[in-house]
Amino acid sequence: MLTMKTIDDININERLYQLNLGPQHPSTHGVLHFLLTLDGEVVVKAEMLIGYTHRGHEKMAENRIYEQFYPNSARMDYLSGMIFNTGYCEAVEKLCGIEVPKRARYIRVITSELNRVASHLLGVMDFVMGIGAYTPFLYGWDDREIILDLLETITGSRLTYNYSRFGGVRVDIDQTFCDSARRFIDRMRERFKLYNDLITGNIIFIKRTVGVGVISKDVALDYGVTGPTLRGSGVNYDVRKSEPYSSYEDFNFEIPTKEEGDCMARYLVRLAEIEQSLRIIEQAMNNLPDGPIRADVPCFITPPAGDCYHSFESARGAVGYYIVSDGTRIPYRLKVRAPSFSNLFVMSKIIPGHFVADLVAIFGSIDVTVPEIDR
Amino acid sequence: MNTSYGFKQYVKEIFTGSKSLIIGMGITLKHMFKPIVTVQYPRQKPIMTPHFRGHIEAIIFDDTKSHHCVACGLCARTCPSHVIKVQGEKTKAGDRKYGKQYFIDFTKCSLCGLCVDVCPEKTLKFSDEYELAFYSRWDGVMDIMQRLEERK
Repeated sequence: MLTMKTIDDININERLYQLNLGPQHPSTHGVLHFLLTLDGEVVVKAEMLIGYTHRGHEKMAENRIYEQFYPNSARMDYLSGMIFNTGYCEAVEKLCGIEVPKRARYIRVITSELNRVASHLLGVMDFVMGIGAYTPFLYGWDDREIILDLLETITGSRLTYNYSRFGGVRVDIDQTFCDSARRFIDRMRERFKLYNDLITGNIIFIKRTVGVGVISKDVALDYGVTGPTLRGSGVNYDVRKSEPYSSYEDFNFEIPTKEEGDCMARYLVRLAEIEQSLRIIEQAMNNLPDGPIRADVPCFITPPAGDCYHSFESARGAVGYYIVSDGTRIPYRLKVRAPSFSNLFVMSKIIPGHFVADLVAIFGSIDVTVPEIDR
Repeated sequence: MNTSYGFKQYVKEIFTGSKSLIIGMGITLKHMFKPIVTVQYPRQKPIMTPHFRGHIEAIIFDDTKSHHCVACGLCARTCPSHVIKVQGEKTKAGDRKYGKQYFIDFTKCSLCGLCVDVCPEKTLKFSDEYELAFYSRWDGVMDIMQRLEERK
């Protein structure tokens, strides 16, 4: 007699199988390895294996003087290198008690916010490309290209800027830069209509993102999620507002939040944040004070013995630099709190029950930079 | 998921789907008649900004028609990647030392610009060359004093 075996007759342990997504996969934004346990097409368990791009930045800091760590700081999160670089300088200035001129602080805000817009554009467009839409990606990079050109005129580089120095910035900005930045702001505000038509209103995009990968408020707070991912879950937290650093208290801006916590909410928060960043840049350029761009600091600084923690908001969340000094020219210990690490590992909690294709959407919407996790 | 997935829903989805398709196609069509935004690289060379950071080079000063390097070695000590080697020379005793050879291993340079910042004689600058591909890794090791002689 012939007996038919259905899928439910098979033992669950025989039915499950493992799939390696990555480390060389186009949707993993770098070198990240997912070890998935699948039941059919449904993910039962997801493990994230990291460490493929570990370069030991924190250990490198213990073997070099404070100035020599500038290039390293931009190479951790290469998409918001300006923000990381500025944050490192601010941390050391806090440790030494250096008073930065107001003009330098405003220039730092302008360049950091331009960098944030570029990073958000790339994050959003990479997410959209990950779930199958290639055209918006090219329009987004068209806008990003203008920011890179703009920053190249003052920093001389397109990705690893190395612009901030202890006590100020390297190069002053001029009227040409401000005019180009104003033109960019006007252009970017008109482009939002294009993005809304092309992405936000697209039926495929809506079906792929609404209700997918919901991170509830409690889970987000438990896992230490920060940045647009946390604000997409309805928590109103931004380091720029809660502990203002580098003259962010002078500017009038809002923190966009969404209650839903799904991929669509995170995408909308990012778009709204671009808008707020443009507002900050405009205000900073209108009220740009005159004065020196660099405080009078020695060529090589020697901080007093002690420690300090400086927290700032990168494009992906709250970053922290913890520096311990023993009174010499070399840091005793430097610890970096990277936002992508916490943001990535919330995925192991929310991914079970989703399809493999949704994993790409969730991963794209969280917007992780892998070299920042590995450091 | 939606449980009441009937014929009405089916027709509605076809309409909404077609609508977003037409909007997307319209944007693409509009952009077809706009000027191209990319630089047609090999035929059209981009102009580098004055602050562009290429590899370092020595400045030719008008007063001496040469560089002002005194081979103090501050750039070599500041370099995070240890890629600079400077050798100086004295023509006679009691004279000032001046830089004779200045080697930089550009393959390991991270273009941070600390050497330019720290130079006490302000004799270093960034070059605006960006086509720096070579066939051997030893081609990346360059003597900038030799390059300065060629530029003279």
